[in-house]
Amino acid sequence: MNQLSKQKKSQVSEVIKQYLTFRIGNENYGLELSQTREIIEYSGITEVPLMPNFLRGVINLRGEVVPVIDLAVRLGRKSIEVQKRTCIIVVELQNNEQNHVLGLLADSVSEVIEMSDENIEDAPSFGANIRAEFIQGIAKRDDEFVVLLDANSALSIRELAHLVEAQLQ
Amino acid sequence: MNLDGALQTFFAEAEDLLNSMEAALLRLDEGDKDMETINEIFRAAHTIKGSAGLFGLDDIVSFTHIVENVLDRARDEKIIITGDLLSIFLPCRDHIATLVENARHQRANDAQCLAQGKALLDSLLPWLETAAQPAVASAPFVVAAAATTASWNSDGTGTNHNAWHISVRLGPDLLRNGMDPLSILRYLRTLGDISHIATITDHLPEFNDFDPERLYLGFEITLVSNASQQQIEDAFMFVRDDSDLKLIPPRSNIEAYVNLIKSLPENTQRLGEILVKSHAISFQELDAALATQKHQAKSAGAVDMLGDILIEEQAVPAEIVNAALDKQKKVSEKKASGENRFIRVDAERLDILINLIGELVINRQRVDLLSSKMGNPTLIEAVTSMGNFTEAIRDAALTLRMVPIGDTFQKFKRVVRDTAKSIGKEIELEIEGAETELDRSMVEKLNDPLMHIVRNAMDHGIESVAVRQTRDKPDTGTIKLTARHDAGNIVIGIHDDGGGLDVERIRKKAIANGILEEGIHLSRQELFQLIFHPGLSTAEQVTNLSGRGVGMDVVKRNIEELQGGIEIESEIGVGTSFSIRLPLTLAIIDGFHVTAGHIDFIVPQNTILECVDLNSLNHVQGQNCVNLRGDQVPYIRLREIFSLQPKDHSREKIVVVQFGEKRAGIVVDELHGEIQTVVKPMGPIFQALKGIGGSSLLGTGAVALILDIQQLIGFAISREHLRNNAFLVSAQEQEE
Repeated sequence: MNQLSKQKKSQVSEVIKQYLTFRIGNENYGLELSQTREIIEYSGITEVPLMPNFLRGVINLRGEVVPVIDLAVRLGRKSIEVQKRTCIIVVELQNNEQNHVLGLLADSVSEVIEMSDENIEDAPSFGANIRAEFIQGIAKRDDEFVVLLDANSALSIRELAHLVEAQLQ
Repeated sequence: MNLDGALQTFFAEAEDLLNSMEAALLRLDEGDKDMETINEIFRAAHTIKGSAGLFGLDDIVSFTHIVENVLDRARDEKIIITGDLLSIFLPCRDHIATLVENARHQRANDAQCLAQGKALLDSLLPWLETAAQPAVASAPFVVAAAATTASWNSDGTGTNHNAWHISVRLGPDLLRNGMDPLSILRYLRTLGDISHIATITDHLPEFNDFDPERLYLGFEITLVSNASQQQIEDAFMFVRDDSDLKLIPPRSNIEAYVNLIKSLPENTQRLGEILVKSHAISFQELDAALATQKHQAKSAGAVDMLGDILIEEQAVPAEIVNAALDKQKKVSEKKASGENRFIRVDAERLDILINLIGELVINRQRVDLLSSKMGNPTLIEAVTSMGNFTEAIRDAALTLRMVPIGDTFQKFKRVVRDTAKSIGKEIELEIEGAETELDRSMVEKLNDPLMHIVRNAMDHGIESVAVRQTRDKPDTGTIKLTARHDAGNIVIGIHDDGGGLDVERIRKKAIANGILEEGIHLSRQELFQLIFHPGLSTAEQVTNLSGRGVGMDVVKRNIEELQGGIEIESEIGVGTSFSIRLPLTLAIIDGFHVTAGHIDFIVPQNTILECVDLNSLNHVQGQNCVNLRGDQVPYIRLREIFSLQPKDHSREKIVVVQFGEKRAGIVVDELHGEIQTVVKPMGPIFQALKGIGGSSLLGTGAVALILDIQQLIGFAISREHLRNNAFLVSAQEQEE
């Protein structure tokens, strides 16, 4: 009994999560590993006409048609240019009790890191050049900052759909 | 044995039966006097009661039992179902539905519900016989039995004419399998009256050897019932395999009983006593029978059939018996062909199958591609024949999901009947093309829009009797639901012969509500379409049925979600027609693969009329319009409308498509040919994108976008509208 409550306490104080880190331009970003499904090599995207820049098109993921987002554009950076190490990170998000699968275009994938909540700082209210609500926190790793993204906010299906709608009008 | 599963089947079955009961009642209401209709209602009630009994749903059993009794008297033509009785039967049906629904959600029937049931039963009382006799079921038997009662009684057998003897030794593993022997007895009670029952406990072991999970019992049952042998055997359906069941039909030869006694493992004397107690046979008979049994056995030949005996004894002329037997046979054949042809399948399993076939179709495309690349003729031949089968499988699988629209239409009969009464109008619902089939998933989504339109037609369309008389129309208004197939689409029509839509009033209202700007020219159809705009209702007064300005916009949205369109035609004083055009299925389509710019597109095959080289046609000066064998066909360039990069050296082709009554051309860069495609939804992000209905995978693994022709044209028109309003107006005037 005693032991159990101790265990619980230690769990509360130190939550360790895994993050997948990747590079866009010369910046490091991270996503919670539990939200990512797989990483695939870039091998062509079918363009969908009239879409805003952040929506690069769709891919065939083993029979499933998945939209691909240019994360750089979404975060207000310059559009990603396809190179040898360009890849697509497939994420799965919950929205209105429905699962949505999205592909994220990234310049390269780095590694999976483990971070306890203690080592993650809150997003700065300014200076990151990224909308604050997209940032879950900032982690420091090997003297470099990793921006941990809040996928549900940065990739909100609702907002993306609204942006598409706005583009079409 | 999972009773939960069986229970779910019961609920589904009850729902179907209640629906067919309602439909049949409404047919009676319309003046149908066919005996088969009453039989249908009776059978529905009877089956519900029977199945409910099996699960111990006593409230349903007791209520339905009374309803069934009244129906039975109607079947025997002792009473005639008139308007009065019908208006009790319909609520009775609803009450059964409520009881079933409560049972489904495991809700107790509350006091109000029970009181309602009681009230309904009370109102049925006048139609019930004072002496509540067990129902007499099959008509032909009644004739025969009545004619022979005297002679049988004089035979001195004195046994009950409808008494079946059921002898059953239940399988030892029944309890382990989760079956309750009591439920069988309960079910038997719904078939008739158990006048005598003896439990055979001879096989109970000594206490020390007793296994509480093992069933040691058997029953000797006397069941007074008009049920057929099949029906009684069905009561034992779940236990038949490991149980020993013997049935002796009513009025059987004494021999049958003797043989039964001989064949059973228990003590002969004891069984004999049970039979005597149950009045199956008399003591003397038993004695005599046992004594003469040997002798009789020697006299060779089968036991005389009941019919033969009757004829021999000249109780009834041979023709009557034959006729009666014939009729009986026909009835049972009819039942068999009508009611047992269906298998219930979980819709989800069907969807899985269809998805898998979708994958098969895609893979076949790929194999096709590879084999033609390799150029091996034998391989190509094999792949082609496999392709043919794939196509056949696909078509067959899709028909599995197809259901006739009639069932959906049928529901409106009740709605129209009840609503018309409540608003004091006389309205008749006509149905045409009920057998037209469409995808089940679409049927469900069609219900609400149809309901809205029909309600609107009743409320605002059809005039009151007084108004109709001044307009020289028949007192009874007509709403007509129609369905037909048209070029790979299904067209559903809702017509009423009411007051019609007033285009001018719609325009004024739209301007007053700020939906339309004054001075803008709209075509008649466009003005009609305004009624789908949220916040526009043309009814002058709000009623409890409709007229709140919500609903019609939902109608349009629902139809568009199904990739369909809706058109309105109306004339003041004559009536209004809505026609809804929908694709037959959303899962797999035949398409035509084209490219424009660097993007692959699929044009649904069923919309395509022909493909022509664009340069070979004469252009109409200064417009996006070509002359096709004397007809002017407007066209849109996919590259332009979708802002795509042009491909080098392309010779543009025009794909001529038809949607509804209109034709248009779609200009593309390259034609690739027919292709079977599985429609993959594009997901919510692309919802605002008009003109693309979904996506699909090509044999190469690339994604192609499926064009939604109707939306695409609409999109092109609205863009043109923005760009050049004046130009469009003149184009439309030409069109009209």
